[in-house]
Amino acid sequence: MAGLGEMMFRTLATFVAGVLLAGPALAAEYHEAPALAALVAQGKLPPVAQRLPQAPEVVQPVQSIGHYGGVLRTAVRGDSDHNAILKMVGNMGLTRWSMDYSKPIANLAESWATNEDASEYTFKLRAGLKWSDGVPFGADDVLFFVNDLLPNKQFFQSPPSQYVINGQPMRAEKIDDSTVKISFAGSYLRFPWVLATPLGQHPVLYAKHYCQQFTPMYNPDLPKLLTEAHQPDWPTLFRQKCGDIEIPARWSNPDKPVMDPWVISTPYTGGGTQVVVRRNPYFWQVDPAGNQLPYIDSVNMKVIGDIQTMLLAAIGGQFDLLVRHINTINNKPVLAQHAAEGGYSLVTLSPTDSSAMALWFNETELDPKLRPLMRNHDFREALSLAIDRDEINDIVFLGQSKPWQVGPLPGDKFYNEKLGTQYTQYDPDTANQMLDKLGLAKRDGDGMRLLPDGSKLFLSIDAMTADTAAIDVAELVKKQWAKVGVNIGINTMERSLYYERAQNNAYDIGTYAVPSGLNATSDPRALIAIQTLDSRQSLPWVKWYSTGGKAGEEPSDSMKQRMKLWDQWKQASSEQQADQLFSQICALAADAFEVVGTVQGVTTFGIRSNKLMNVPTSMPNGWDYPNPAPTLPQQYYFAN
Amino acid sequence: MSGVMLAGPAALQSASEARLMWLRFCRHRLAMFGMVVVLLMYLIAIFAEFVAPCAPDKSNARLVFHPPQAIHLLDRADDGWHLRPYVYAVRLARDPVTLAPTYVADNRKVYLRLFAHGDAYRMWTLFPASLHLLAPENPRDSVFLLGGDRQGRDMLSRIIYGARASLSIGLLGVANSLLLGIVFGGLSGFLGGRVDWLIQRVIEFIISLPTIPIWLALAAALPKNWSPFATYFTITLIISLIGWTELARVVRGRFLALRSESFVTAAWLDGCGRGRIIFRHMLPSLTSHIIASVTLAIPVMILAETALSFLGVGLRPPAISWGALLQEAQNVQSIASAPWLLLPGAAVAITVMALNFLGDGLRDAADPHGQ
Amino acid sequence: MARFITRRLLGMIPFIFLVSITVFLLIKLTPGDFVSNYAASLAASGETVDDAMLASMRARYGLDQPLLIQYWDWISGVARGDFGYSFEWQQPVVSLIGERIGLTLVLSLSTLFFTWAIALPIGVYSAVRRYSIGDYIFTFLGFVGLAVPGFLIGLVLMFVGVSVFHTDVGGLFSPTYTNAPWSIARVGDLLKHLWVPMIILGVSGAASLIRIMRANLLDQLNQPYVDTARAKGLSELTLLVRYPIRVALNPFVSTLGFILPQLVSGSVIISIVLNLPTAGPLLLQALLGQDQYLAGAFLLLLCAMTVIGTLLSDILLALLDPRIRFQ
Repeated sequence: MAGLGEMMFRTLATFVAGVLLAGPALAAEYHEAPALAALVAQGKLPPVAQRLPQAPEVVQPVQSIGHYGGVLRTAVRGDSDHNAILKMVGNMGLTRWSMDYSKPIANLAESWATNEDASEYTFKLRAGLKWSDGVPFGADDVLFFVNDLLPNKQFFQSPPSQYVINGQPMRAEKIDDSTVKISFAGSYLRFPWVLATPLGQHPVLYAKHYCQQFTPMYNPDLPKLLTEAHQPDWPTLFRQKCGDIEIPARWSNPDKPVMDPWVISTPYTGGGTQVVVRRNPYFWQVDPAGNQLPYIDSVNMKVIGDIQTMLLAAIGGQFDLLVRHINTINNKPVLAQHAAEGGYSLVTLSPTDSSAMALWFNETELDPKLRPLMRNHDFREALSLAIDRDEINDIVFLGQSKPWQVGPLPGDKFYNEKLGTQYTQYDPDTANQMLDKLGLAKRDGDGMRLLPDGSKLFLSIDAMTADTAAIDVAELVKKQWAKVGVNIGINTMERSLYYERAQNNAYDIGTYAVPSGLNATSDPRALIAIQTLDSRQSLPWVKWYSTGGKAGEEPSDSMKQRMKLWDQWKQASSEQQADQLFSQICALAADAFEVVGTVQGVTTFGIRSNKLMNVPTSMPNGWDYPNPAPTLPQQYYFAN
Repeated sequence: MSGVMLAGPAALQSASEARLMWLRFCRHRLAMFGMVVVLLMYLIAIFAEFVAPCAPDKSNARLVFHPPQAIHLLDRADDGWHLRPYVYAVRLARDPVTLAPTYVADNRKVYLRLFAHGDAYRMWTLFPASLHLLAPENPRDSVFLLGGDRQGRDMLSRIIYGARASLSIGLLGVANSLLLGIVFGGLSGFLGGRVDWLIQRVIEFIISLPTIPIWLALAAALPKNWSPFATYFTITLIISLIGWTELARVVRGRFLALRSESFVTAAWLDGCGRGRIIFRHMLPSLTSHIIASVTLAIPVMILAETALSFLGVGLRPPAISWGALLQEAQNVQSIASAPWLLLPGAAVAITVMALNFLGDGLRDAADPHGQ
Repeated sequence: MARFITRRLLGMIPFIFLVSITVFLLIKLTPGDFVSNYAASLAASGETVDDAMLASMRARYGLDQPLLIQYWDWISGVARGDFGYSFEWQQPVVSLIGERIGLTLVLSLSTLFFTWAIALPIGVYSAVRRYSIGDYIFTFLGFVGLAVPGFLIGLVLMFVGVSVFHTDVGGLFSPTYTNAPWSIARVGDLLKHLWVPMIILGVSGAASLIRIMRANLLDQLNQPYVDTARAKGLSELTLLVRYPIRVALNPFVSTLGFILPQLVSGSVIISIVLNLPTAGPLLLQALLGQDQYLAGAFLLLLCAMTVIGTLLSDILLALLDPRIRFQ
């Protein structure tokens, strides 16, 4: 009697358990694009429920549930514009940015947990994820990168710094098929933030089952493959086939499996005229109604060499979405005036830049006569007071911005009023007085100041030919400074020469925008001299920092202090500690006043076709936030 | 053909070849017109500071993309009509949504005057002055006869200053090309043999190097601390060093053909030295072709300078030349809303046409067989 | 004749060798190298760049080797037929150029044909009917075409096309035909798009040819032999074609040799503005980015075309003008 009851109970329990477990899979009904449904009917694809992970991410559409179909037309510029493709379709990392760029949220990793001092991260990947060719995605793929490629000296001569703490690269440990533990040799509070940026995509970029054939560790026949492909070594072949974050080859192999919403169909090659990506049948996100994303069938990116041509195509209504290249403020009139005819609306691109254009005074100026002046706080202060920022705003930025120095924008938690607004008023009289007091009181026949030894005071500003805003600003600054007797020349040059001169420390003043007005800690190059190409307050100082003092030039005390605080910040074990350190950095930078800003980052505008839905009317514009990808183009759709 | 007119025993009139050329030239009305225009252009370029209504780099945030203003000559005042040129002032009203600059009438007349004092300048960077050919009576006013650019600078003044750079580039480069082309082409064609072979190989070598990479490479290699004008002269020389080859090759072709002409043989038999044969006898036969090529070469140089600016290696802002000005107009915004920014193209066109008419006239006048 | 041709062909080899050295030096003359260029272009778009990767890239591409070794690697490869890999596109150079060279030749040859087809008759007409209305009109049009920079016309034409006629911007094919296989319809589509760049490129060249033709022909028309021929009773047309025109063609044939490479190189700017899938923009990009194997192969190709062209033009010259002797 008891046995039968027990058996019945167990059967019932099993049955109930079965229903409960199978519940999510049975209860949720998934839908797919008609083209894919046709393939399923022909038996060429498994049914959608099997293609999706067990618990696909449900994405809330910006406006409404969409329907399938359509080709999104956009453009890439002819040379080296592979990042345009990345910013449209290639944003898959363990984490991704929230749409408002405030924090990283779950992406391929469903959740993560850290230990006490944030030196170990346990990522729980979504169960059942698959690559675009149907093979499961899991911890093995992450380990492939972290344990096989990252420490390999042939693959990376020195591992990318975002994965290195205390001189040690990260290590990964497989807990199970969808759980990975990544450990560092010290605290790394910012790791999830870094993973949301493009340069943090490495751990999920390489499909082990496909890419391992290009490595000596997994493929004994590799030498034969190398000779067949005419490649000198395996890292070159590997990168040619499996790409890297920002190289064109990432988009040139249609056979490479990806986790992106669309897969390369027409690759990005030197001779090509367009790049086409097609729907990924194994994409792992759905909308609240169970429709497998993306809605749009394919994205067609026309390769256009000249930006003016691109602009013409845009105003002719030949693109459905374009938020890159044409988004300079002085294009707004022509974009706005043709909007009705072209059938598009403007998308507001809110600036993430701190300053739209700044003058970076070279603290390690080579010319011995100018050097003491360039390093003098009062000299920079006087010149800053002699800049008429309202005029610059009106002419160059169409009056759309505000005077500003550098540093986090108002509204950011690190906003420092002194850093952002000191010496932004236009006061040529005080400027004249200060310059007189600096020993520059003598002037020549034209009214231009002379150095204490009697020679002419002459500074040169470097600008890139392609950067019309910088040139305009420089020309206005030249006239404004002439009124206080400071004579400058403007050197316009082509981009590579601009960077070459910087590397040789052969400039007086550099012109460049200052990034990180929002999320200030992601790129504090204007506050701390750590960016090898663009910390133009002194590149020798950057070299000193990156070689641990072995090369370059020793920075000023204030800068050394900031570098030390920055190192501490990287290792901070709590959010509070980190914030406090960074605020100190901002305060020190405000006192030192090395970079002279002009106006705040400017809101610019892109276009979107009136038929394209679910596009936010405003999105942040930047690189660490690689718009439009974080606004989830996979949920855009075409209205009828 | 020296025109010795056999008149009576009274007066024996003779005219030199040059005077004959001049007389023939004068009959060609289009060429005269061309000459006048060219001379005018060069005068304007020389006296740019005086002719321009204001300074070319005077920017004004309140006057960006200012439309051209028409001059009205008759001014109606309370006491009747006066001959007093003026323009109507306008004010910037920026559309708040599209940010497009629009101009509305300001109900004000800006009076102009000949020989008025305006912006100060240094004539040829030497003599300070402030007299302008035509300027507003009130020096604080601005006048935009050909419109304003994206920084609110006067296009007419900029075009006038640009003439200086563009026209001189043409002269210098062409003079250099001409010299090299005639010398090497002549030597090659006349002497033949090894000299010809060597010079031909050198020419081929230079010609096969495509122009754009050379320009890019050489322009990039120029030291950056040179003044804009040193850079510009060097670029001119670089262009001309490539350009002489075409003329040389053609000259050689003609020389080869002429070598067997009878008058050359006659001169040779007469005992003329090689130099004399080349310069005194063969060269004049080439004159017409040389003239045609030269007058076509000057605008080619001007256009080459424009192309270089487009690529970003020629004269760049803040230097002013027609090429640099056209480069600034090379965008959709300008074409759509400020088409007057393309006027330097008209200046180039007018200069080119005038030079060609002039060249035509000279060629016709120099032709010994012509009517 | 045959001996002349073989001697010239043999002379071409050291010549191309010399050209290759110059080409290589020119490419290397621009400051930096491919890696620094690449880093600069990324940084200029506001994108951060990993300098460890830059260093390893440099080592991988052999850019840290001395110049001589880099040159030798390249030229020995070329001699074997291996033109190397493009750094930027990670593709064999041969396939990159091959993709584009076809359309480039089509564009250049059709422009050449257009230029000559227009310039010669007009030049003849201008000379024969000197100072007539027709002469003035053609002169004027010719100058306009000559005087206004091609790329400016290009942009203006495109703007008019887009805003008034709603045409598709740039390219040599409509979107439907871009990747389609060749067919009569595709050729028709190509011709439909070809006439704009052909005219822009051709008009300025035509103008100068018209002037030169006119000048040369006028020279000849005033020669005594023309009067003689007329006196002998030849019709104007016959006399024109048989004598003065042949002589006046002399300088054209001289320059025939390098018209093709000039066209390819001169069409760079227009190709960029009009967004044409020809070789010019690819070359420009390779030069600016110091993609040395791609740029080097391209330049060598252009030089080879010139050399062959010069040889052809010399032969033509000899055939055309029997007064010229070469020994």
